[in-house]
Amino acid sequence: MKEVPAKIEHNNQWIVIKLGIGDDRIALPAPINQEILFKAVADVAERKNILIITVKTDKETVYKILSVEKVLAVLKKLILGSCNAYRLMAYFMSPAIRGGVMIKEAAWEKGSVVVVQSGIWFVGATKQICVPVTDVAAIELTKRDVQGKATEVVRIDHVESGEVVSSLVLCPLSTLQVLYNFLKETTKGMDMKGTELDGVDQQVAMLIYSGMDSHAIENMLNIPHKQLDAIYDKILKLGLADVVTIRREVQLTTKGVRYISDATKSQTN
Amino acid sequence: MGKILIVDDTLFMRTLLKNILFSGGHTIAGEAGDGEEAVAKYKELKPDLVTMDVVMPKMNGIEALKAIKAIDPGARIVMCTAVGQEQMVKLAIKSGAKGYIVKPFQAPKVLEEVKNVLAT
Repeated sequence: MKEVPAKIEHNNQWIVIKLGIGDDRIALPAPINQEILFKAVADVAERKNILIITVKTDKETVYKILSVEKVLAVLKKLILGSCNAYRLMAYFMSPAIRGGVMIKEAAWEKGSVVVVQSGIWFVGATKQICVPVTDVAAIELTKRDVQGKATEVVRIDHVESGEVVSSLVLCPLSTLQVLYNFLKETTKGMDMKGTELDGVDQQVAMLIYSGMDSHAIENMLNIPHKQLDAIYDKILKLGLADVVTIRREVQLTTKGVRYISDATKSQTN
Repeated sequence: MGKILIVDDTLFMRTLLKNILFSGGHTIAGEAGDGEEAVAKYKELKPDLVTMDVVMPKMNGIEALKAIKAIDPGARIVMCTAVGQEQMVKLAIKSGAKGYIVKPFQAPKVLEEVKNVLAT
């Protein structure tokens, strides 16, 4: 078993340990004194450079491990290869589209797609990409030109640092349908039933997606502020958006008008 | 910064692109609602770049792209289409498109793509 330096969260504190990494398990030394078999791992997530592992035996335990990228990459590859998950060999392209723009240098990478409780992982020879289920915006079966042939692929749209990113998965058709159904099931919390917007509301939502602020939206759609406010209320109520800025519109008081009058006078005198 | 011709059959999309491009400091050379108008406007306005919708009445975006390329082989054209029509990419690139935008899009990425294509 190889030993590498890492930090682990223990009793709400980060402690430095020598993490043991074996072929089928990791060993956490004192004060934790625990061995974790990869096959007992029920969930793997990543937040920045912290790896969050959920182990299910007779009880559920969550371990948070912090280390350098190289160590985490080895750990992720080993755990994702053996943990308790839906796993299939596939080609993936992630990201393929970012913010609506096709990435020209994007290429198909051979590896596997691993679906765990909290996310979808693309595991390749050099990279492991995690898409948290909560960040998934859409899953669709679509066609893509692969070696000159229109081929069915699964497209996964997800939000990454405020940008909408699309990733593609390519595998044999029979497996693809199973993967699609499985992903749909995993992300069923994002069901859009009951989320309906009419024409102008939809245009407003589209403009928000494109990055337009309220002022630009009012001008583009030629709608009054009050109407836009009402549409924003509807969109917020449906959970389709969050408030990021509250813009204040003010009107000068008599004192303010007097100030401007005086200021203008002093400039012209 | 460039002089851009926006081609799309929906006023909403043209207005959105106009706003995005204008906010990025570009000049809007003109607008066209179909492929035929796009070719005519290209000859007339000689823009630095064209954003071209794919599915349009009269003449579609791919045909218009080919027609413009026949007039000006150096024309910079960024194709713009809806999700699910990405298989058109290869055909468009083969026909001379310099970039590809998928609707819905986000303003910063569109500006980045336009900047990249204008630099070619």
